[in-house]
Amino acid sequence: MSTPAMRVKYMDLPRQFEDGAVVARVIDEFKRCQFVLGPQVAEFEGRFARACGAAHAVGLNSGTDALFFALKALGVGPGDEVITAPNSFVASAGAIVMAGATPVFVDVDAEYLMDPARLPDAITPRTRAIIPVHLTGNPADLDAIGAIAAPRGLPVIEDAAQAVGAAIGGRVVGSIGTAAAFSLFPLKNLGVAGDGGMLTTRSREVFDKVMLYRHHGLRTRDEVEIWGYNSRLDTLQAIVADAVLDGLEAVTAARIRNAAFYDQALAPLAPHVVVPPRRRGVRQVFHTYVVQAERRDGLRQFLESRGVETKIHYPIPIHLQKAAAGLGYKRGAFPVSEAQSERIVSLPVHEYLTETEQHYVVDRIGEFYRR
Amino acid sequence: MRVPYSYLREQFADSEPILRDIKGLLESTQFTLGPPVAEFEERFARLCGARHAIGVGTGTDALFLSLKALGVEPGDEVITAADTFIATAGAIVQAGARPVFVDVLDDFNIDPGKIEAAITPRTRALLPVHYAGQPAKMGPILDIARRRKLPVVEDACQAISAAIDGKLVSNFGVAAGFSLHPLKNLNVWGDGGVIVTNSPELDATLRLLRNHGLKNRDEVEIFGYNCRLDSLQAIVGNHLIRDTEAITAARIKNALALDAGLAPLAPRVRVPKRLPNERHVFHLYMFEADDRDRLLAYLVAREIEAKIHYPVPLHLQPAGRRLGYKEGDFPVAERQAKRIITLPVHQHLSQSQVQFMVDSVAAFYRQR
Repeated sequence: MSTPAMRVKYMDLPRQFEDGAVVARVIDEFKRCQFVLGPQVAEFEGRFARACGAAHAVGLNSGTDALFFALKALGVGPGDEVITAPNSFVASAGAIVMAGATPVFVDVDAEYLMDPARLPDAITPRTRAIIPVHLTGNPADLDAIGAIAAPRGLPVIEDAAQAVGAAIGGRVVGSIGTAAAFSLFPLKNLGVAGDGGMLTTRSREVFDKVMLYRHHGLRTRDEVEIWGYNSRLDTLQAIVADAVLDGLEAVTAARIRNAAFYDQALAPLAPHVVVPPRRRGVRQVFHTYVVQAERRDGLRQFLESRGVETKIHYPIPIHLQKAAAGLGYKRGAFPVSEAQSERIVSLPVHEYLTETEQHYVVDRIGEFYRR
Repeated sequence: MRVPYSYLREQFADSEPILRDIKGLLESTQFTLGPPVAEFEERFARLCGARHAIGVGTGTDALFLSLKALGVEPGDEVITAADTFIATAGAIVQAGARPVFVDVLDDFNIDPGKIEAAITPRTRALLPVHYAGQPAKMGPILDIARRRKLPVVEDACQAISAAIDGKLVSNFGVAAGFSLHPLKNLNVWGDGGVIVTNSPELDATLRLLRNHGLKNRDEVEIFGYNCRLDSLQAIVGNHLIRDTEAITAARIKNALALDAGLAPLAPRVRVPKRLPNERHVFHLYMFEADDRDRLLAYLVAREIEAKIHYPVPLHLQPAGRRLGYKEGDFPVAERQAKRIITLPVHQHLSQSQVQFMVDSVAAFYRQR
């Protein structure tokens, strides 16, 4: 087979650190030898909280830990149930299991988001919290979910791992639920050079607890208030995050622009390719750009042969994973998620994508369905 | 003379090769697991003379994941020393189990003679601590473990390269947890930890647990956690691990000089007995001292960064009292908490700094 005319990478991570100034700034800060917590972490936490419009932000080792700590701080434990979506990355359910609770899933809608209409049926007397996932960077319908949760006294924890900068109207995610979890994993819109996560919250009480949890429950060097954990955002990663945060608005704008291009260019390919409906009044930040495609696996192979890298987020819904066998779900439990898992494909949407590359991707998709 | 406790600036003075590799990583962007972590794991296993090493987020997580991999769960009890860093007990609580403390010996480690009395039908594991870098009495501990059919997890967070009769720590129990926290003998430039085991089954389980239970990108075998050693920190570790033997030797040399200098100050100063078959690697140089608080203030005034590890035993912390413990439960640990003091012993100390510390302790007791 001949060499493809063009290579379109799914993500171009090396470009993020191409700017020597970022690396220099990181190394320079680093030379202060502050390796655990300290002013650089506090500085980033302050900026992150402001960026999310949240009262508090805490730097943690991962987005998974941020979800877990939010659950712990709200008192979730063994015997409790927590509701989330089955089509997320496994950590959404993993954090619930970590807290000793049982994940209960609610099927999703055409936007890949928790379907509020199906939420009431999933609530039982054991339900202790709801974790809607802003999957792909698209904010879940927190108004509808909140209207169901609030009268029942259920806290809403936003899984915003993929959604930094997303908003509903003027409300930025991370400031809407009782607490929110963000990931700083390298491939995220705001990614660091290793693992990292952020918890935001409006609740002083949650904030106080999480500050203790992340650092062994230590109130001071010598006083152990509660049994805690060790989950700190590395100072080094906070320095990277602080530098990367400067460019976040530009990254987000580029991804939105790329997504808008695809939306328009792929529309004529319906019904072979189905772009999800776009709600008015929300700001999607397109951590991933996910469409549903006929003959998905064939399309991916074809694109691969033409130099276009694609991914699937995710091919096996959580309830059908081996890990979930004990939860008792069967195929058919969440028909929308299951059908989507066989049709979804993620196209490159990263901030370094050029218009030429995007034209190339769309043309190749068109070519596949014309054949 | 200033005698600082932290030496990270000295370590950083020679950091160009490490920074070069970090720049390389920032360009290659292989930030999660990948070759630097695999290389570090291989080196670490070799350093311990063990088969498997698994890089994880922290030493705390190393202990927690080891307990989880052994099936420890809510309702279980795990036995550990009353005198340790908080994270040993924290890891047990994290696994859903209850920490059951046992009093310690004069060497600050768990007293094997008191373990049997702490075992109940709910006991699921023993978690001895090689505190300060001093190996716990593993012979008697393993005898009890065999008799009572309990797995032993070693808390080796402070004890890289410590040994008993030439056998390195991490080779006594079924698994051992190490910390790479910046102030450890072998450190990285942030948080990091390692689990060492000779069991291929535990190795496989732990590799799943640290990475969301993912068997591959798409398949989740078990629900797990996110606690991976950052590739970036593995790069730092790959450089510094080459110095471990030299660092250990320097710390032992400093400790022996302190031992010799402080011996004449007995009984006001009580240095734990050193046994020739035990290799103490001196993450901390701890001893008991009369009039400890005033000695501490005196040394600090002389710019010697002495510390206390730790002034309140775990069972008397608010978190420990909630487990039902009270004053008097562990008389040795309680006595020690009032009397212990830690002097700098790190590898960047000069001979004159060591001498200055000895002279200062002696001067304190002379002036009284």
